Amino acid sequence: MDKSARGSDPARLTVALLGNPNTGKSTLFSALAGIPTRVGNYPGVTVEEKIGRFSHRGQAIDLIDLPGTYSLAPQGPDERVAVDVLHGRLAGVPRPEVVMVVADATNLERNLFLATQATELGLPLVVALTLCDVGRRRGTAIDTGLLAKRLGCPVIALATPSGEGLAELRDAIVAGPAAGPPAPLGLEGAGPDDSRPAAARDAIRRYALIERLLDGVVHRAPAAKPLPEDRIDRLLTHKLWGTLVFAAVMLVVFSSIFWLAAPLMDLISGGMEWLSARVSNLLPPGAIRDLVVDGVLAGIGGVVVFVPQIALLFLLIAVLEGCGYLARAAYLMDRLLVGVGLSGKSFIPLLSSFACAIPGIMAARTIENRRDRLLTILVAPLMSCSARLPVYLLLTGAFVPDVAVGFAWLRLPAVVLTGMYGLGVVVAAAVAWLLSRTFFRGPPQPFVMELPSWRWPQAAVVLERAREAVWSFLQNAGTLILAVSVVVWALSNYPRNEARIEADIETQQTQLADQLTDAALPPAERAELSAEAASLETPEGRAAARLAAIQRGSLLGKAGRFVEPLVRPLGWDWRIGCAAIASFPAREVVLGTLAVLYNLPAEEAEGTALERRLKAARWDGTGRPVFTLPVALSIMVFFALCAQCASTLVVIGRETGSWVWPVVTFTYMTVLAWLGAFATYQLGTWLGL
Amino acid sequence: MALATLTLEDLPIAAAARVADVVGNDSVAIRLLEMGITPGAVVRALGRAPFGDPLEIQVRGYRLSIRRAEAARVAITSD
Repeated sequence: MDKSARGSDPARLTVALLGNPNTGKSTLFSALAGIPTRVGNYPGVTVEEKIGRFSHRGQAIDLIDLPGTYSLAPQGPDERVAVDVLHGRLAGVPRPEVVMVVADATNLERNLFLATQATELGLPLVVALTLCDVGRRRGTAIDTGLLAKRLGCPVIALATPSGEGLAELRDAIVAGPAAGPPAPLGLEGAGPDDSRPAAARDAIRRYALIERLLDGVVHRAPAAKPLPEDRIDRLLTHKLWGTLVFAAVMLVVFSSIFWLAAPLMDLISGGMEWLSARVSNLLPPGAIRDLVVDGVLAGIGGVVVFVPQIALLFLLIAVLEGCGYLARAAYLMDRLLVGVGLSGKSFIPLLSSFACAIPGIMAARTIENRRDRLLTILVAPLMSCSARLPVYLLLTGAFVPDVAVGFAWLRLPAVVLTGMYGLGVVVAAAVAWLLSRTFFRGPPQPFVMELPSWRWPQAAVVLERAREAVWSFLQNAGTLILAVSVVVWALSNYPRNEARIEADIETQQTQLADQLTDAALPPAERAELSAEAASLETPEGRAAARLAAIQRGSLLGKAGRFVEPLVRPLGWDWRIGCAAIASFPAREVVLGTLAVLYNLPAEEAEGTALERRLKAARWDGTGRPVFTLPVALSIMVFFALCAQCASTLVVIGRETGSWVWPVVTFTYMTVLAWLGAFATYQLGTWLGL
Repeated sequence: MALATLTLEDLPIAAAARVADVVGNDSVAIRLLEMGITPGAVVRALGRAPFGDPLEIQVRGYRLSIRRAEAARVAITSD
């Protein structure tokens, strides 16, 4: 990481970029500094720190992008960070020498609230009026000269597409230190002196001051005609059309990360397979090759495969945010989510989690409220992601009878599949409701949210947002996910005892031969067993059996046997327990592990070969089938609710900046998964399914 | 408590009123004031979300989403 960007080099001018959310602050940052040289967190807090560099007239400038804030009387951690940076109170971050306040020209009154607070910082100030082109089209003219005189600092009108005012703005920034801080505006005495807290009295006085400051500064055309964006807005807020548009937008968001990302993900998986095959041919067989191919390369593949979904989701979020629709979506969905202790802003992160919890959890960055953001992150992994789908499909396909339920068109497998998705939603709602009334109880959190006007998103800002999300995932979470994958790979392959592996396979062969001598064996089962015995004679069958023996003898295999008493009440044998543990890096691994444990090449994990093998599985030493409908349902419920996804836990750790939350998530989800699976199996058995 | 006190929650859609007071001293009240809902400011009700909450209002030339519980804290006087 570039530490030098944080040092206070006297030759560089440190400029802080301050502004309300939705004021075109990111657009201005890109226009001035391009791609940031440093993106990370402020020391000790999980508030994003973004620094860009540019130079103007020979002066090198560090531009610090502060979190969007409405006020310098801080209420949340983001706002506190902005204030701390401005006062030079944040260790490791130099105090800015010039403050640039971004103010939306179409919403000047409210934006000047922050700008007038900034005049009291004792730092040279420059006011950048963004969206002046939109203001002019609305018939609003702003006398920037008069406003500058009254504020005592330069006020520069900017228009984004044309780049109007940028050169002037750069000049004003460089001239800042020489110009010095503005004179006090005289807030005292300009308002009531009652029993309200200081911040409330300040707010009332400040708006009175702003009304005086703006008197004669803003000229509005008497009857401004509605602009196209106003008509769009009326459509978007319409009870019927607005809701339909919302449903359509959400469908696009969801389907693009669910389906549009799929070919890209296949491409990555295909590429990694090709690479693995190449490396396999280059390296001699042995432990090193296994580590490189099955451990490291498989781990890298498991990280990179998330990139298409993250990039697509953040592109879409940036577009929705840029055009002002994100706030609109939160407004429409708020009531639904408030009931369970979340907020409207949780909707897109939770919806995205149906495709994958990782982009979903990252999307929770758009929730400013700390409590709401944490709650959303904690329940997001309960949404049934696409990695659960293969598990559901295999087990419903193999064990849920295809019968009609009530109606001829309503088939039981479809009902069970829908039920699994519903289960995640219901449990997430219950968990959020419970947490918001217990550990997360607190004073009511204001949900006062600006609904920005419709505007075109800026391509540079949109691309930067996606790039930044992908980069921070690869850099912060990727390395750790890779490490976890390699460790789990090692645990499921070591220790290795060649003599025992051979002995294990021979035992299987003798067992099969013994069973085949039994004359009472039904013909179907005899065919199955003799096929299995024959496959052990082929090189492929032998290799598959070897792999299974390795896994059985590994630490993970031992753990599987160790937890058998724990999974027995769920109706599982030790192999299912083992597969559940082995699926800790990612849920979809469970099918591969099951395939391996039942002596099937892992490539056949999907499809009918595994289905047949599971149906034929027997409890060790008995003729009782392992997989019955209650067992299949109990596995599905377990996988619907468990946190068997190391990547999700790593991302939760990174996004919350604390290892407490992944531990909490893993614990509560595992407990719920066990209880759910237990209830399902016991109830199913009791009902005689 | 005077029952006759009108709040922003009661304001019919498309109607405008003047803010009389913002009740309370907590962070909700401060945030409402900071967003420009100060005594004397003109507020206009623009609409309601599909489930009846939150409300969309206009104040000081911009639009704001505000939950009903928060709107109930804003006492208004109709002009």
